[in-house]
Amino acid sequence: MRFHRGLAAAGAAALLALAGCGGADEEDSGGTSTGGAAAEGAAELKPVPGFDGKTIKVGALSPLSGPVAVIGTPLTNGNKVFYDALNAKGGIAGKYKVELVQEDTQYKPDVTVQRYNRIKNDVVAFTQVLGTASVLAVVPQLKRDKMIAAPASLDAFWVREPNLLPVGGPYQGQAINGIDYFLKNGGEGKNVCGLFQDDAYGEAGEAGVEFAAEKLGFEPAATQKYKAGDKDVTGQIQALSKAKCDAVFYTGLPSDAGTVFGTAAKLGFAPRWIAQSPVWIDELGASPLAEYLAKTTWVVAEGTEWGDDSVPGMKQMVADAKQFDPKQDPDYYFSFGYVQGIAMQAVLEKAVENGDLSREGILEASEQLGEVDYQGLFGNYSYGAADSRKPPTTSTIFEVDPDKPYGLGALEKNYESDTVKEFEYTAR
Amino acid sequence: MSEFLQLLFNGTALGARYALVALGFVIIYRATGVINFAQGGLLALGAYLAYALNDTAALPFALAVVGAVLLSGVIGAATERVVLRRMVGQPVFAVVMVTIGMLFILEQTITSIWGFEALNLGDPWGVQTVRAGDVVLATRDLWTIGLAALVLAAFFAFFRFSKLGVAMRATAFDQEAALAQGISARRVFAVSWGISGGLACLAGVTLAAGPAALSPGIGAIALIAFPAMIVGGLDSPGGAVLGGLIIGITQAMTTGYQDDFFPWAGSNFAAVMPYVVMVLILLVRPYGLFGTKEVRRI
Repeated sequence: MRFHRGLAAAGAAALLALAGCGGADEEDSGGTSTGGAAAEGAAELKPVPGFDGKTIKVGALSPLSGPVAVIGTPLTNGNKVFYDALNAKGGIAGKYKVELVQEDTQYKPDVTVQRYNRIKNDVVAFTQVLGTASVLAVVPQLKRDKMIAAPASLDAFWVREPNLLPVGGPYQGQAINGIDYFLKNGGEGKNVCGLFQDDAYGEAGEAGVEFAAEKLGFEPAATQKYKAGDKDVTGQIQALSKAKCDAVFYTGLPSDAGTVFGTAAKLGFAPRWIAQSPVWIDELGASPLAEYLAKTTWVVAEGTEWGDDSVPGMKQMVADAKQFDPKQDPDYYFSFGYVQGIAMQAVLEKAVENGDLSREGILEASEQLGEVDYQGLFGNYSYGAADSRKPPTTSTIFEVDPDKPYGLGALEKNYESDTVKEFEYTAR
Repeated sequence: MSEFLQLLFNGTALGARYALVALGFVIIYRATGVINFAQGGLLALGAYLAYALNDTAALPFALAVVGAVLLSGVIGAATERVVLRRMVGQPVFAVVMVTIGMLFILEQTITSIWGFEALNLGDPWGVQTVRAGDVVLATRDLWTIGLAALVLAAFFAFFRFSKLGVAMRATAFDQEAALAQGISARRVFAVSWGISGGLACLAGVTLAAGPAALSPGIGAIALIAFPAMIVGGLDSPGGAVLGGLIIGITQAMTTGYQDDFFPWAGSNFAAVMPYVVMVLILLVRPYGLFGTKEVRRI
């Protein structure tokens, strides 16, 4: 059903974009008269590509079809609900509405580049580009076009990339915090191992484990890898079991998590699983594995559990979701998209304040941001020039609790190890 | 030793799944000389049909599977009747391209109905296991192996003793001679597609069983079953089963022992192993283990 909605939304967005193009010219010609009539005078902003003087358009390049649409659809929905709620309050600076221009990338880097080029002159910035490989593919273009984009991926390379506007603590930080938490909570001296998907995303998790091992003084007892989509991981699980792993840090995708946990459960291997945030999907909590997972699994992510009213950001987000998309189920990726909206709002507010919504203006505004407060949804991010940015160093350790929305309950909120603060982020 | 037995068991279960998929390929190839690239799509569709009958129509699981197998068979036969029959007499390449097109259509149909989320098939096996000494046997795997064995036995009986089975063998051997004997090639084609659809569904169900394992991506297994089919010989059902088992067990053993014996090959070498085995066997036996030499390749 989501697919229909996604397609329909993409189609509608494309139509709107077309209509917007036609409309922009007309408004441009009439712009001088309305501009002159405006009493505020000085506050009036010059129209630029993606901004017609009234509406700011931002792009979202996301897989809305294909297997990764399971992530792209709720994530884009998070973007959309955020901007709908913002527009209901008046928009950026209380008067400029934000419109989302969505394009389907199918999670393919070449398609992403093609779609980027299709809409780059219709938007002022990109509020979402999903997937490590897709982000890497558009970075050179972003640089040439002086455009900024918010990556929907937690790779550590984004931190030092001036044209990117990352949110959240990188995967490496999740791994470091997760392992540190385990060691400090009854895991001292126990065997820590790693299980990774065999690609760039898996490498990010592995780098975190290696850093934690070096700083915390342990040697991973075993490291295993598998290819995304493998239907048999018995060999890997047996190797971990043979190495007497007490804890396994696991970096993978939800599509393989059932196979991995299922194999471990049936072989009677029950270590403390410490899982990277994208591993989790709510269906796991409703599967026959729920009991096993509740006993063995932690998921390292950010913020708090869905519907936790004590956290202001969560309270607001749930209320917005209820008002603007009542059909949205509790979803981690939805939160991610919503948080990206907060980041983009901060940049756009700053650019409007500077009186310049051009690409150069927005890039400059992103460097003047300082710390952005995510209201407890994600850790606060300290922006600024790319080489001085500080991503959040906190992670929340969730335990599997099938009774909670989305199947995750917060075990330790905003945990910050000393080790994670030593991790250096370098440019790619 | 127990580690070896465990890997052997898991490899056999994986191989049984490959065998079911490869068997579907072989049935169609034998009858029509076409490699059906839509097999992976039919497999996924079959699994989703079982899910729908169980979850949405609330049928008991066993009944849902039987219903899905029959439905998939009908869909397979209907595909032959509506699409492929019109392609008779066209170059094999054109027909193969049509099956590739069908794969895309099936994939889109599945995702537009059921979305992209991983679903729980609703099988009764869950994560139950049986212990045999130190070896853990998952109920799901035991069922998979049992079903594959049953299907295989049924096939041999069908081809040997039933009139239709003999007609299919005759058509595979020489279409014109079979026609001259009054065998309806059309009927043979339709039945082949029907059987292949049913097999794909069964393979899909055994793959999608387990926690959150039903996703549109499960059809990708067809790519790994491909070497299984080639290893066994394109037109040999027995070869398909043996090929499936060889590939499955090789993969399981590679993941289990690579670190001990050849860590230098790089991590995750098991993914490449089916193709290595395929190339090695083809070097010695260019038509596969049981393939007929006259077989034409595409």
